[in-house]
Amino acid sequence: MSKVAGRTDWAEEEDEDSLALPPPQITKNKDGTETIVSYRIDENGKKVKTTRRIRKTVMKQVVNPRVAERKHWSKFGEEKGKPVGPQSDTTSIAENIVFRPSSNWKTNQSEEKNPIDKQKATLKDAKIKCRICSGEHWTSKCPFKDTMAPEGENAGAGAGTGAEEESAAPGLGPSNSSYVPPHLRGKSGVTGERMGGGKFGQERDDLATLRVTNVSEFAEEQDLRDMFTRFGHVTRVFLAKDRETGRAKGFAFVSYADRTDAARACEKMDGYGFHHLILRVEFAKKPTT
Amino acid sequence: MRPILLSGHTRALTQVKYSKDGDIIFSVSKDQIICAWYAANGERLGTYHGHQGALWTVDVDPTTTLLASGAADNTIRLWDVKTGKLLKTWDFGTAIKRVEFSPDGTQLLGVTERRQGHLSTIVVYDIVLDVEAEQADEHSLRIVCEDSKATVAGFSYGSKYIISGHEDGSVTQWDAKTGELLDSAQIQEDDMQITDLQWSSDRTYFITASKDKTAKLVAANDLRVLKTYVADTPLNSAAITPVKDYVILGGGQAAMDVTTTSARQGKFEARFYHKIFEEEIGRVRGHFGPLNYVAVDPQGKSYASGGEDGYVRLHHFDRGYFDFLYEVEREAEQANL
Repeated sequence: MSKVAGRTDWAEEEDEDSLALPPPQITKNKDGTETIVSYRIDENGKKVKTTRRIRKTVMKQVVNPRVAERKHWSKFGEEKGKPVGPQSDTTSIAENIVFRPSSNWKTNQSEEKNPIDKQKATLKDAKIKCRICSGEHWTSKCPFKDTMAPEGENAGAGAGTGAEEESAAPGLGPSNSSYVPPHLRGKSGVTGERMGGGKFGQERDDLATLRVTNVSEFAEEQDLRDMFTRFGHVTRVFLAKDRETGRAKGFAFVSYADRTDAARACEKMDGYGFHHLILRVEFAKKPTT
Repeated sequence: MRPILLSGHTRALTQVKYSKDGDIIFSVSKDQIICAWYAANGERLGTYHGHQGALWTVDVDPTTTLLASGAADNTIRLWDVKTGKLLKTWDFGTAIKRVEFSPDGTQLLGVTERRQGHLSTIVVYDIVLDVEAEQADEHSLRIVCEDSKATVAGFSYGSKYIISGHEDGSVTQWDAKTGELLDSAQIQEDDMQITDLQWSSDRTYFITASKDKTAKLVAANDLRVLKTYVADTPLNSAAITPVKDYVILGGGQAAMDVTTTSARQGKFEARFYHKIFEEEIGRVRGHFGPLNYVAVDPQGKSYASGGEDGYVRLHHFDRGYFDFLYEVEREAEQANL
């Protein structure tokens, strides 16, 4: 019986507890700190016990007696009857502000300023790159857009240069359009290399392309075309030019429809004197076989 | 630096003032009440009720016993600082734009607005520094500003001159005893209103803020422009800091244009300039409306700004503020040691 009664007591006590919160307890610790245990009911109706351990330090400040006297004035007006200390409805602490005076504040500021201007500046410097020939112009303005496919597309499907396709390695061509499993790719020669991520200019008709270096800066594409068509059908001449000055940068690529023509041209034109310089001609990509 | 946000007002602040000891701050706003705050912790001491119109200005005497306020209800009122009791009311024909006690607290000046049939005037009252005493009904001096209306005014050192700032950007020096016009100088741009005039701690020079986006340091005895501080926004207020050689400028886009500009563009920041080198050394953000007034603790420990946004932000300076020195200052200090 007593047990049961005890239980009811316990249950009742718990019930009362949730209605009336126990008063906060303050215990003084040996090391000079205080432990405050307080209770409150949170928004879910649950009782929350908060234990805080604080240390009180007395800060002594010497002030003018006038000021000290004014500190104890009683409040008046709208504040009349309110307890001592800042009231939360009128006084609050704002977020921390870092204020570091500096002598070159202005210059620092102008650097940080205007993210938009900064973005514009980077855009201004950004290079335009053609997806077909990697030149510094829009793809749609590319002089080769009719004869060549953009980077990433099937090189063979580029243009009406069937000869190129035939002369190219067996890995290219029609078979290229179908899916090749990764483990087979390595064996299919050029395709594999292609996947390996060569630079664009070399991965197209690389087998019949010559790299011409030591080109005079006054050279024009037409000059090169004239010189190289002597050895066979030239599909493309690309002369790298400086964007600002419009002058040649000193190298060019010449692509032939036929690799044998390219080989002959390479042999004949290497060491050929053009303008005041001697051309150096080599295959853009060394044959894999 | 953690600012204390004082949110006792419901409308735009118009002026904020420290007591001479820097322990109490008085703020007035367009909501017709005056608030008194403890500067140390931002606790509100009380409010002063009685004005029937937007308050424009407030000042406290050097002993912190009497408080004067001027409002759009055409009155200057005198209050007991301690209890909030109204002691005296002076009635005028127009609104009061500025009140200020003389350095010894025995005189009070008021600047009245110009309106149809009324010229702008500066009136001076003799004050008995006692809460119980009966204050004079009649002014002891009345200066009429015929050319351009006065917007701000104050007493120079020893109550020798009254200096007034005008709507047309000029400052005028009057004899504080006779009211005689002694000197006048066009220091700001033409027709750019002087919005504020605050004194250095010894009252030998003062700083003006103007709508022409500059603040100027001017000598009181010959109205010579000593320094110019150039900002990028119209200024509403300027203050000289004691202890450190800085000035604080406050301003921002005019209240009527605020809704059309972003907070960033509004430039609602307190700008710190070095007083001697005239160079901007930093800014303090926080307000989301133009700063209508900046006040500096006469002890140099804090500053308060009142904004169009209805808040007073009270900033206690931290180490970085006091430690900052220019290279040349540091060298000079080394040489002295």
